[in-house]
Amino acid sequence: MTTASAAVQTSENPGGPSANAAAARQVTKAYGQGETRVTALDAVDVDIQRGRFTAIMGPSGSGKSTLMHCLAGLDSVTDGRIWIGDTEITGLRDKQLTQLRRDKIGFIFQAFNLLPTLNALENITLPMDIAGRKPDQAWLDQVVDTVGLADRLKHRPTQLSGGQQQRVAVARALAARPEIIFGDEPTGNLDSRSGAEVLTFLRRSVDELAQTIVMVTHDPVAAGYADRVLFLADGSIVDEMNSPTADSVLERMRRFDGKRTS
Amino acid sequence: MLLKTSLRSFVAHKGRMVLSLIAIVLSVAFVSGTLVFSNTATSTFDKLFASTASDIQISQAPAKKDAGAGQGGPSAKTLTVPASAVQQIAAQPGVKSAQGDISVVDATLVNPKTKKQAGPVSGAPTIVGSWTPGPRSPMKITSGAAPAGAQQAMLDADTAKKAKLGLGDPIEVIDALGTYTYTVSGIATFTGTNPGAALVFLDVPTAQHDLLGQSDVYTSIAAFGDGSVSNDQLKSEALGALGSGYQVKTAAEQQADGSKGIGSVLDFMKYVMLGFAGVSLLVGGFLIINTFSMLVAQRTREIGLLRALGGSRGQVNGSVLIEALVLAVVGSTIGMLAGLGLAQLLIGLMKLVGMNISSSLEFTATVPIASYTVGIVITVVSAIIPAFRASRVAPMAALRDHGTPSEGASNKVRVIIGLVLTLGGAGLLVAGGLASKAGTGGSLLGLGVPFTLIGFVVLGPLLATGLIRLLGGFLPKLFGPAGKLAQRNAMRNPRRTGATAAALMIGLALVTGAAVVTSSMVSSTNSQIEKQVGADYLAFANRTGITPAMVAAAQKASGIDHITEEKYLPATFTTPDGKTTEAEVAAESSTFAGDFHFPVSSGSPQDAITGGGISVDETFAKDHGLKLGDKLAIDYGKGRTQSLPVAVITSKGSQIFDGHFYTGLETVTQVVPADQQPVDRAFYGMAAAGADKGKTYQALQDALIDYPQVTVKDQEGLKQLFQANVNVLLYLVYGLLGLAILVAVLGVINTLALSVVERTREIGLMRAIGISRRQLRRMIRLESVVIAVFGAVLGTGLGLAWGVTAQQVLRNSGLDTLTIPVVTIIGVLLASAVIGLLAAVVPAFRASRMNVLDAIATG
Repeated sequence: MTTASAAVQTSENPGGPSANAAAARQVTKAYGQGETRVTALDAVDVDIQRGRFTAIMGPSGSGKSTLMHCLAGLDSVTDGRIWIGDTEITGLRDKQLTQLRRDKIGFIFQAFNLLPTLNALENITLPMDIAGRKPDQAWLDQVVDTVGLADRLKHRPTQLSGGQQQRVAVARALAARPEIIFGDEPTGNLDSRSGAEVLTFLRRSVDELAQTIVMVTHDPVAAGYADRVLFLADGSIVDEMNSPTADSVLERMRRFDGKRTS
Repeated sequence: MLLKTSLRSFVAHKGRMVLSLIAIVLSVAFVSGTLVFSNTATSTFDKLFASTASDIQISQAPAKKDAGAGQGGPSAKTLTVPASAVQQIAAQPGVKSAQGDISVVDATLVNPKTKKQAGPVSGAPTIVGSWTPGPRSPMKITSGAAPAGAQQAMLDADTAKKAKLGLGDPIEVIDALGTYTYTVSGIATFTGTNPGAALVFLDVPTAQHDLLGQSDVYTSIAAFGDGSVSNDQLKSEALGALGSGYQVKTAAEQQADGSKGIGSVLDFMKYVMLGFAGVSLLVGGFLIINTFSMLVAQRTREIGLLRALGGSRGQVNGSVLIEALVLAVVGSTIGMLAGLGLAQLLIGLMKLVGMNISSSLEFTATVPIASYTVGIVITVVSAIIPAFRASRVAPMAALRDHGTPSEGASNKVRVIIGLVLTLGGAGLLVAGGLASKAGTGGSLLGLGVPFTLIGFVVLGPLLATGLIRLLGGFLPKLFGPAGKLAQRNAMRNPRRTGATAAALMIGLALVTGAAVVTSSMVSSTNSQIEKQVGADYLAFANRTGITPAMVAAAQKASGIDHITEEKYLPATFTTPDGKTTEAEVAAESSTFAGDFHFPVSSGSPQDAITGGGISVDETFAKDHGLKLGDKLAIDYGKGRTQSLPVAVITSKGSQIFDGHFYTGLETVTQVVPADQQPVDRAFYGMAAAGADKGKTYQALQDALIDYPQVTVKDQEGLKQLFQANVNVLLYLVYGLLGLAILVAVLGVINTLALSVVERTREIGLMRAIGISRRQLRRMIRLESVVIAVFGAVLGTGLGLAWGVTAQQVLRNSGLDTLTIPVVTIIGVLLASAVIGLLAAVVPAFRASRMNVLDAIATG
């Protein structure tokens, strides 16, 4: 089932497969034609390093969600090239993209991450079920243990709190050992305590399980958990910060806002 | 304001309304079509009969009520009036003119060139009579001349055209007196509507000689008044002048008789059509309930907002009902107009079977009244439940929730009501099946059917969870995650699944029940034919009866050992308990006792046929306390009576012997002389010992080649003939099933389409985490199949219960063998899976084409 990704190795990931889990070169995304043309992403270059926690920040309309959707193969690009691991995903057909998402990518959305008809465990193993793969039981146990859900596995999503639901989503993203996990404001709907819990798990999965994570957020506190923050504005990457803290991110955001208004 | 909201909402959801609209249109179209058709037909024939009836018509009073002349049955001799009566009537005061007419319906018209019948084989009759055009004759000669002399006959134009006969061509008329050949001398055309009969006219002396075998007699007298007295008065004067033994009918009575004859054909059509209307209404009702439930569920927020802003429950109710009303009015209007097309179609269909109905449709006020009433009542009644559910939504809950309202407290009530109805209904069915009397059993069955049906509908949502867990148990194993998700999805809204499946359930329950009954009928009859019929061949001519010439021809066929003749004579039976019964005596040749194996309860068949006795069935014997040897007084009318001892009592449950009284032809001839006896109803043939049965069958058919009106069958053919009769019934049931399924499929599509819309975000999520389009489509297809099969399982289960009960009820009325049509049932279940697949095509396609990003971003 995983042959499609191997078959489409058209060219190498510019940063090298060992270093980069994902990469984008000159990615442009535009909507509409002629005068009504709106450019959401403008010739963006990004390298997502393996085993690190990357946050993408920016004001509303900066193109941060579009960038994530394009990197994750959920959206097509107007121009440019994108790689996930060794595989160039620009130009792939829906079927191959679907397989790629299934086998190599994990997702955590802001809300509505779980299928209401399946219990927590079934939701966690769904991507592997879809692929027809048997989950690695030891790994599964470790993931479930890490997110602290061992006693909630038989519960339906409606019987779980918002924080618990997001932790199930994190577990699902981790369980299939994807090359990369994309989070789209994963804590956006949570109170600060539950949010902190979820972010801690994400941090631990990077530190302890060597997972690669890309997270879109507008919350400096959330970005403070990352190894690296990319700042996006008007469809371009305008800045980058390594080993951020909530305060330094906030500070940079303020400066950035100030720059814009001046 | 509220009206505006409703109308806007209706327009906004018009896509979702389409399927409900189709259901309403279908039901209303059948109602309106039926009305327009029967109005048009009735008015056509009323006009025809009104314009052609004489002021009074005189004929001989039939000896027995059930065997009047002109009814078409070959059971009685044609009744005549003497020529002297014509003069008597003509001399009455107030009578302007009187004429004798001759017409018989027991003759067959044959085209000698093709050796085939030239008249209609079924439906309208062939009428051979005298050309005596009165002042109100519906026909005029359009080519050639009126028949004159023993060699000439005139045909009606439609028959001539259909049989490709023209002036100078030979035609043959076969009746009890013999076979007569004529030359077509003229063609007469109906000035108005032709009701479909074939008409052959002879001159009066020829008609008297060839049709009645006597001179100076007529079959009826038509008299016309001079306008000075009323028809009723003319009638009483005529009765007074002629004395007893005559019946006189006024123009109004003739018209009523005529309309009644045609009416029975039309009534049948009407009931079939109304059956279709009823089924589509019933099934459509579920579709409408579902549509509105889902619309309400999707608009929970909107309704909550309305309520939060101060809208009252009544207003919320009202807004949903107004939407329903708009739907009903639109649907009824389209349906009513579609009904006109349907009526036109039916008229065309009737023309094919030879009945010409005016093509200008009769559109009376009842048509729109009935159409709108049916359409509005069914729609609004179906929408009431969802409307009330909508008004119960709490303002804040509505604003918070975006899912479907949860089900809670009502479940308990539902279980109790459902169980009471189902168990009560099941009890009624069991009691019905065990009842000793078919009548009692029938009424218990009649009560049990609606009880179990409603019970199942009420329990449907609860059964859905359990049964789908069971039915769908193999899905995860077989189809992986798509199977698992499909199974879960089918169970997640049991009320919706239940209502969707209920539509299919009703149709399949009806057809399964009917299939059990009909296949039991076929197997029961087959086994009875095998057990009780010893004769190798059977011949009959429904319209005209079997004439002596035919019997003579059959006897000459090589390989035939003997022919047994059978006549039926209407009679009044007086039993020793003093009660009288109107029935027919079956008079048989002496060989009958050997040709048929009587299911003897007691006595000897031989004594009944050759020993001057009579056979009665067990039920009759029991009802009248008859024992062997008890005497039955039999009155054939006109003073011909005899008293016969009961020689054999046949055991009940035989379709051949129940309700029949068999005796010997010789016995009957003692009081009814041969020349007063009717022609044979049928004859049975036995192949000689050692003769090849197949060859003899062929020889018999060849011997009767000159009589195309005779149907010859061997035992196998007899079974097939019966099966063909049953099949007609079955096709009707299949037609109903087809319609029910059509509407039910609309319901499944409806449910799936709305579910897909509701689950947009879920679908987006699944696509994001890697479910392929194929898997998604499969998931929706499987959900659809599960719902359909669930409905089919409930339906066939219910239908089996009904069918088995019906067979048990009728076990002593000829339906003694229970046959479960396993192949049909398996076919129905498989078909339901296919239906599920078909219904899912469009919703699955739409789901798989859904844009992942849009789906994630929604709401």
